Amino acid sequence: MPGPTQLFFPLIRNCELSRIYGTACYCHHKHLCCSSPYLPQSRLRYTSHPAYATFCRPKDNWWQYTQGRRYASTPQKFYLTPPQVNSILKANEYSFKVPEFDGKNVSSVLGFDSNQLPANAPIEDRRSAATCLQTRGMLLGVFDGHAGCACSQAVSERLFYYIAVSLLPHETLLEIENAVESGRALLPILQWHKHPNDYFSKEASKLYFNSLRTYWQELIDLNTGESTDIDVKEALINAFKRLDNDISLEAQVGDPNSFLNYLVLRVAFSGATACVAHVDGVDLHVANTGDSRAMLGVQEEDGSWSAVTLSNDHNAQNERELERLKLEHPKNEAKSVVKQDRLLGLLMPFRAFGDVKFKWSIDLQKRVIESGPDQLNDNEYTKFIPPNYYTPPYLTAEPEVTYHRLRPQDKFLVLATDGLWETMHRQDVVRIVGEYLTGMHHQQPIAVGGYKVTLGQMHGLLTERRAKMSSVFEDQNAATHLIRHAVGNNEFGAVDHERLSKMLSLPEELARMYRDDITIIVVQFNSHVVGAYQNQE
Amino acid sequence: MPVFCQLCWSAIVDTDGRIYIRNWQGGILSGGFEKNPKPIFTEGKNQLEIQNLQEDWDHFEPLLSSLLRRMPQLETLEIMKLVNCPETFTPDMRCIMGESPSVQGYFVLAGMNSAGLSFGGGAGKYLAEWMMHGYPSENVWELDLKRFGALQSSRTFLRHRVMEVMPLLYDLKVPRWDFQTGRQLRTSPLYDRLDAQGARWMEKHGFERPKYFVPPDKDLLALEQSKTFYKPDWFDIVESEVKCCKEAVCVIDMSSFTKFEITSTGDQALEILQYLFSNDLDVPVGHIVHTGMLNEGGGYENDCSIARLSKRSFFMISPTDQQVHCWAWLKKHMPQDSNLLLEDVTWKYTALNLIGPRAVDVLSELSYAPMTPDHFPSLFCKEMSVGYANGIRVMSMTHTGEPGFMLYIPIEYALHVYNEVMSVGQKYGIRNAGYYALRSLRIEKFFAFWGQDLNTLTTPLECGRESWVKLEKGMDFIGRDALLQQKQNGVYKRFTMFILDDHDTDLDLWPWWGEPIYRNGQYVGKTTSSAYSYTLERHVCLGFVHNFSEDTGEEQVVTTDFINRGEYEIDIAGHRFQAKAKLYPVASLVTHKRRKDDVELSDLHGK
Repeated sequence: MPGPTQLFFPLIRNCELSRIYGTACYCHHKHLCCSSPYLPQSRLRYTSHPAYATFCRPKDNWWQYTQGRRYASTPQKFYLTPPQVNSILKANEYSFKVPEFDGKNVSSVLGFDSNQLPANAPIEDRRSAATCLQTRGMLLGVFDGHAGCACSQAVSERLFYYIAVSLLPHETLLEIENAVESGRALLPILQWHKHPNDYFSKEASKLYFNSLRTYWQELIDLNTGESTDIDVKEALINAFKRLDNDISLEAQVGDPNSFLNYLVLRVAFSGATACVAHVDGVDLHVANTGDSRAMLGVQEEDGSWSAVTLSNDHNAQNERELERLKLEHPKNEAKSVVKQDRLLGLLMPFRAFGDVKFKWSIDLQKRVIESGPDQLNDNEYTKFIPPNYYTPPYLTAEPEVTYHRLRPQDKFLVLATDGLWETMHRQDVVRIVGEYLTGMHHQQPIAVGGYKVTLGQMHGLLTERRAKMSSVFEDQNAATHLIRHAVGNNEFGAVDHERLSKMLSLPEELARMYRDDITIIVVQFNSHVVGAYQNQE
Repeated sequence: MPVFCQLCWSAIVDTDGRIYIRNWQGGILSGGFEKNPKPIFTEGKNQLEIQNLQEDWDHFEPLLSSLLRRMPQLETLEIMKLVNCPETFTPDMRCIMGESPSVQGYFVLAGMNSAGLSFGGGAGKYLAEWMMHGYPSENVWELDLKRFGALQSSRTFLRHRVMEVMPLLYDLKVPRWDFQTGRQLRTSPLYDRLDAQGARWMEKHGFERPKYFVPPDKDLLALEQSKTFYKPDWFDIVESEVKCCKEAVCVIDMSSFTKFEITSTGDQALEILQYLFSNDLDVPVGHIVHTGMLNEGGGYENDCSIARLSKRSFFMISPTDQQVHCWAWLKKHMPQDSNLLLEDVTWKYTALNLIGPRAVDVLSELSYAPMTPDHFPSLFCKEMSVGYANGIRVMSMTHTGEPGFMLYIPIEYALHVYNEVMSVGQKYGIRNAGYYALRSLRIEKFFAFWGQDLNTLTTPLECGRESWVKLEKGMDFIGRDALLQQKQNGVYKRFTMFILDDHDTDLDLWPWWGEPIYRNGQYVGKTTSSAYSYTLERHVCLGFVHNFSEDTGEEQVVTTDFINRGEYEIDIAGHRFQAKAKLYPVASLVTHKRRKDDVELSDLHGK
C-alpha cells in the first residue's frame, strides 16, 4: 500500500493543516472511508469485516505524517484570497427566477437559489429542479449519494419524470402513449432548471425512457376510469417506489451494451437519499427518503425567524424509524438490525434508493455479481455481504410525505443534504437565509429629522449597518451565502475568512474528512400570491 | 451643529479622506466626493424638485468616518442636517462653455463639476467677453462646448463616465491618464487586429488610438502602479518603436483624424477655402498644403492639411477633436449655396501612417509604382492601388517630419491593406507603433500640434510658420489684417523649442506640459508640450516665450535676437533645469544618415 501513501503526503505540504488535524488516514476506495474518532462519520462504514481491518492504520499514518511534515515544513502560510474563496464557492451556484407575466407573478414560487460544494471527488450529491408542464407545480430535490455517485445521478435524472407521470391525468398519459406509438412529437413534461455542471447521461437515456414508458403504460392499464382526482402524496410515494424498483430490475436484467450493463449495476449497488418538494400554489408536499432535510423559514410578526421541519430524518436518531425496522424483521434480529446507529452496522440512512446489497437476497446478489462484468467482480465492496443478513429487504426507498399549506409568513424553504445540517443548527440556517433574503432589502434608510443624534452615535450606527451589509452583498445567491456560513463560521457564528480559506484549500483526498458534500436549494415563496390564495377561500 | 468654533478658515480639504470642512454659520459644514457616486438624470424635472433628495446616511458613512478621523472631537456634536443634492459633472471633469455649434448666439455655461462656487467668477467673465467680442481673452478650448459632439451624449456613456470622473476630483491626477469607462465607442476596423498584437489604447473624442504596442515578452505595471510623474514604464517600448521609425518602417493607425471633403460644381470650393485658410490653396491638383484656419485675430481655429483632389474638390485633414468645432466654423462661414458641398468623411476612411525610410520600399512593392521622391515628391497626393485594393489615397507626409506616407483607405479595404503592408513590410523590418512614438518624433522635429501647442490666440507668425501664410495670394482671407499688422509690429510671443541639458531621465521628474520657462532668471512663459527625444537622448520641451517688461510687466515684442541671447531654464516641480533654446529643428535630425561603421549584427534582426 505504499502507492497511495506517497501520493498523499506531498499534497499537504503547503497547507497549515496540523492544527485542525487530529489524525490522518487514507481511503482505499473513493466511496469507502475508514473511520477514526476524529473524522465526521461516513455514510457507509465498512470496517467491521476483518479482511479490511488493515485499511485503518491511524498510528502508522500519523508517524509518516509527522515525518512528512518535518521534512517538508515551509514557513510561509498558504491562504486563499477572498476572490479565490468566492470563485470556489460560486462555481456551482445557480439561480432561477420564475418569469413574471404582465408584471404580475402568479406563481407562489418567486424563484430559487441552489449551490453545492463538493467534499468527495467527484461529488456524490446531486440536485434537480423542474417545472411541471402538463400539470401545475414545481419540483425541487436534493439527492445524497453514497458508495459513488451513480445512483444519485440516476435518481436526479429520473425521479421527477416518475413523479410527473404519476401526477398526469389519464387523458394526458394516453395522448403521450399514442404519440410514442405513432411516432408523433411528444408533449413535454418537464422544464428543467439546470446549472451547466448538472449533466444528464446520454447513453442511458433510451433505457431510462423505456422503463418510464412501461410505468405509464401500466398506469394507463390500471386506470378504472373512475377517480379523476390525483392525490399528490400517493403519486410521490408511487414514483419513488417505482423508480427504485426499476433501478433494481434493470440491474437484474442487465443490458447487452457492456457500458450500460456496468452502469445499471453501479447505479443499483450504490445508493442515494432523496428529499423532494412539490409546490403547487399553497400546497407544499415534501417527500423524503433518507437524512436530507426540508426546512421551512417562517417569519414571525416581530420579524424574527423560526424553523419548521417538514421532513423526518430516516436514521438512528429517529425513534419511529428504529421501531419500524424492528417490526419489519424477526425479534431475534432486534439487536443486529441497527448496530452502532447504522443499519446492519453499516449504513447510516435507513431509507435509500439503490443499495441492492440491503435489498436483494444473498442468492440474487451472488448471481448478479458472478454474471456481471469483471469490474464488478473485482470490487471488494460489491462482493461483500452485510453481516446478520437474514431477512432482506432491510432497506426501502418509500418516502415519508409531509403536507404543508403555505401561509404568507412562510417565506422560504431550504432543501439540503446532511452536509449542511451536521454543521449548522436549523434555527441558524433559517435565520441566516431569512436575514439574507429580506434583511437588506428592508433595511430602512436612516433619517435624523427631529432627533438629537451626535455624529459619534450616527457613525457607530452606520458602521454596524455597513458590516452587516458587506457580509450579505458578497453573495448573490442564498445557497452560496449559507455554504459560506456552514464552512466558514467560527465559534461566534460569524464567517471567519481564515477558516473558510483553510477548509476550501483542503486537497481533494482530505476534504471529505472535514466536511460532507453540501447541496442546498433555497426556494423563495411569493407572500402576495400565497396571501391572495388564502383570501380567495 | 451648535456654535463650535470661531476659527476663521476658509476650508480644509483632506483629499485622502475625500472630504472638505468649512466654517458655516458658526458651526461646521463638511462634505466630500465619495468613491462610489450615484448618478441621476434630472431632465424633465424642476431644478428645485431635485435640490433636496432624501438623506442617505449609508452613502455618507465613509465620508463621516474620515471626518471623525480627522477631527475626533466632533463625535459629541449634534447633527443638524444632512443635505443631499445632486451636482453636475462632465465626461472630462471640465466645465462646458461657449456658443452652441448648431444654434448661433446660444451660449452655454454648465457642468461645473461641483466647482461652480470657485470657478463661477472667471467663467462668467470669459463667457461675457465671448458674447460681447466673439472671443474670450484667454484660450478656453479645453472648456469649449464644441470639444464634445452628440457621440458623448448617450445616457449610458454619461452614467458610466461621471461615476469615474467624480471620484477623480480628490484623486491625484497624473500625466497621460486615460479614462477607463466609456471606452471602445469609436474604433478603427483594425482595432481587434492591433489589440491582439499588444496595443494599449488612449481615447480622443471617443476614438480609440494605440499608444504603443507591448511586446509579448514584456509586462507593464498594473494600472494603479503605473501612475507616475517620473519615467514611465512604457519608455523602452516607445524607444524601440521610434528607433524602428528612424531606421526601418512603422505603421500607425491614425484613423481618428477628422476628415472633410469640400466639393463644388464651379470654383466655389476654392473661393471659400481661399477665404478661410491663410495658405494659398490654388495649387496644382495632387498637391497638399499645410495651412491654418485663422480667426480675425490671426489665431488658429484649426490647423490642417488640405489635399487638392481635383480642380473642384478638396480633402481636409484636421485633428481628431476638431470634428464639431471645424464643422461649425465652416458651416458658419460658408455661403448657403447648393453647389457647394461639405461632407464629413471621417468614418469612411481608415488612415495608416507608414513612417520611416523603408516606407517607400513597402509601398512601391505593393503598388508596382515607383515611389521615389522624383516620382512622388513630398506633400503630394495620389489615388492608387495598394495590394488588391484600388482608390487608396496615398499622401507623402507623416505628420512628423519623417519620410513616409499616409494612406487613406476606404474602410472595407482597411484590413486587406493592413495585412498586405505588414506581410510585405516583414523583410523591411516593419512593426506597429503608437501615438507616443509619433509624439516623440514630431516634438523633436519641432512640429506644433493644434490643441496642445496652438490655439485660437496663437498666430502662424508666432510659431515660425510665415512660409505657410500667403499674405499676397491675391485675395483677402480671415485674419489677414491681423497678420499684416503683426508682421509690421513684430510678435509678442514666440514658439520655441528647448532641449534640457542637465536632466536625468531616469531619476528626475519628467516635464509633461505647463512647466514655467525662465530666461535669465525671469519668467517668460510656459511649455505647451514635451517629449523625450530618443535621437537627441534629451528631453525636448516646446513652449511660448514672452518678453515681459521688467518695470511694468507689459508684453513687448519678441525678436529672434531676444530668443537667441538668453540663458534658459525649465522649472519642473520646483527644480530648474538648464535648457538650450532653438527656433528651428536640430539640423542633425533632418539629415540623419547612418554611417557605414555603425552597422551591427543586431540590425539584421527583425524589429
